[in-house]
Amino acid sequence: MRRAADVVLIAVLLAAAAAALLAGGPALSAREALAALAGNGSPEARTIVLGLRLPRLALGLEVGAALALAGAALQALLSNPLADPFLLGISGGGAAAATAAFAALPASALGLVPATAMAGSALATGLVWWMARGPLGPSSTRMILAGVAVNAAASAVILTILSLAPSPRLPGALAVTMGSLASASAPAVAWLTPYVLIPAFVLLLHGRDLGLLATGEESAAGLGVEVATVRRRVFLAAAALCGGAVAFAGVIGFVGLVVPHLCRMVWGHATRRLLPRTMVAGAALMVLGDLVARRALAPVELPVGVVTAVLGVPFFVALLRRSP
Amino acid sequence: MTLLDARGLSGGYGGADIIRGVDLTVTEGRCVAVLGPNGAGKSTLLRLLAGILPASSGVVELCGRPLAGWRRRDIARAIGFVPQTVSFAFPLTVAEVVQQGRAPHLGPWRPPAPRDHAAVAAAIARVGLDGRETTPVERLSGGERQLVLLARALASEPRLLLLDEPATALDVRHQLDLVAILGRLASDGAGVVLVVHDWNLALRIAGRLVVLQEGRVRAAGSPTEVLRPELFRAVFGVDVDLVPRPGGAPFVVARQRSSGGDEFPPTS
Repeated sequence: MRRAADVVLIAVLLAAAAAALLAGGPALSAREALAALAGNGSPEARTIVLGLRLPRLALGLEVGAALALAGAALQALLSNPLADPFLLGISGGGAAAATAAFAALPASALGLVPATAMAGSALATGLVWWMARGPLGPSSTRMILAGVAVNAAASAVILTILSLAPSPRLPGALAVTMGSLASASAPAVAWLTPYVLIPAFVLLLHGRDLGLLATGEESAAGLGVEVATVRRRVFLAAAALCGGAVAFAGVIGFVGLVVPHLCRMVWGHATRRLLPRTMVAGAALMVLGDLVARRALAPVELPVGVVTAVLGVPFFVALLRRSP
Repeated sequence: MTLLDARGLSGGYGGADIIRGVDLTVTEGRCVAVLGPNGAGKSTLLRLLAGILPASSGVVELCGRPLAGWRRRDIARAIGFVPQTVSFAFPLTVAEVVQQGRAPHLGPWRPPAPRDHAAVAAAIARVGLDGRETTPVERLSGGERQLVLLARALASEPRLLLLDEPATALDVRHQLDLVAILGRLASDGAGVVLVVHDWNLALRIAGRLVVLQEGRVRAAGSPTEVLRPELFRAVFGVDVDLVPRPGGAPFVVARQRSSGGDEFPPTS
């Protein structure tokens, strides 16, 4: 059953990727897009497929995998099924910094927005970590409360900037808060890749430890987990994944919360088994969501976060009803 | 052979010592019961012995080597730790929880081998939960959950078992099962330390008793050395009857709260 589910998951990912490349818009037929992929076809077709659709697909894969993996890891780390990358204020910090950058930086310096977003995420992570430190070290409850406080502060900053920003700058700033893969480019994908691969390796390395941590810190320590070290590494890795995702795609909710639960319903709760599947499922959902966001109301493009929610919720409800 | 040897052990939380200068030795095949009033530091002592909580002073040696020099994973292979309760954030099945006991034997990438599956199945059978492997633990009673945690510790095949009040939710039959399981472990050469409130259960299981009061050892020794009415008056503030039992330690029956504390000299 689980092996069959693995095959279906890979098939869905490949189908979503193929659809994103071949059926990404009305400008090209699938045959023309295929020719462009093979290096033939018109220069315009090659530009659309290789210069626009391929980076957008790669960015979608990276952002989806990053958010879902970070969500699954944080849920285990904090022993809280409702934890998600955004609960801890990491995305809020990144989004506030990016919005400020859009509003304040001159047009020639807008390339600095992703770097600013990452800095904001890092700052928020540090702030949450500092606020969560109690006499017995950072506790899960304090961490979530600190995340809620940082998110509230970030929302206030974003709303203030949106109220005061000159109107020509508003679309860019709003895109950060709504979430979009429209700014995908080959350099963006290259920048984001280490922010996904290195933290993902760290989290997969600690997959078994995370499963034990989900039963509480004392229980995990009794089973051989170096709790303080693992907690620090996992929190930083999840922060890097979220910061990277916000920097290049803005705030996309739902994926980090629901994809891990969808995967749990199919593959069970053993975290070591769950994490890699969560990455693949998150990537597939993001690519599918982006495809729908581009095509559903074309030429208007929907925020991809809206679509991932619309796609994911029915699956979630169906699986929830079916699960014992 | 000495499995665990604590000397002058002190430690607690946030810089405040709860345990103060405790000595405790566990040898192969020995079962030690730690008793004492609420707040005496029994669970804290167990955490210090398991290395989960760092000692502020004193030393704990595991198999002749200071605990501080052990890797956490190696400690977990040698010591099976059974906490009082575990919060399950996700609905794991009985088998999934017991499999966690094999984690110290597996690296980050290696999936469980047939040897690990066999240890898990044996541990589940030992606590009498065979046939319930796929049941989510959230559907189990409190007592059954305690048995799952015991099975998880047994699955790691430890040389030493530390149990924090393992019988609080067990019915009489399962208490007897617990006595049999721990007795068999001890006869196989394992060491056992259990924190327990029920004196009669402690007397059935343990050959050595350690009584804590306010973080210090108030009495320690064999049941005949420790079981004295004045100890109960001084430490627990109760009068007890010690009812003789043929061929074994007496039953302890609490009669009433005592009117005044007796002097009771510390023993070791």
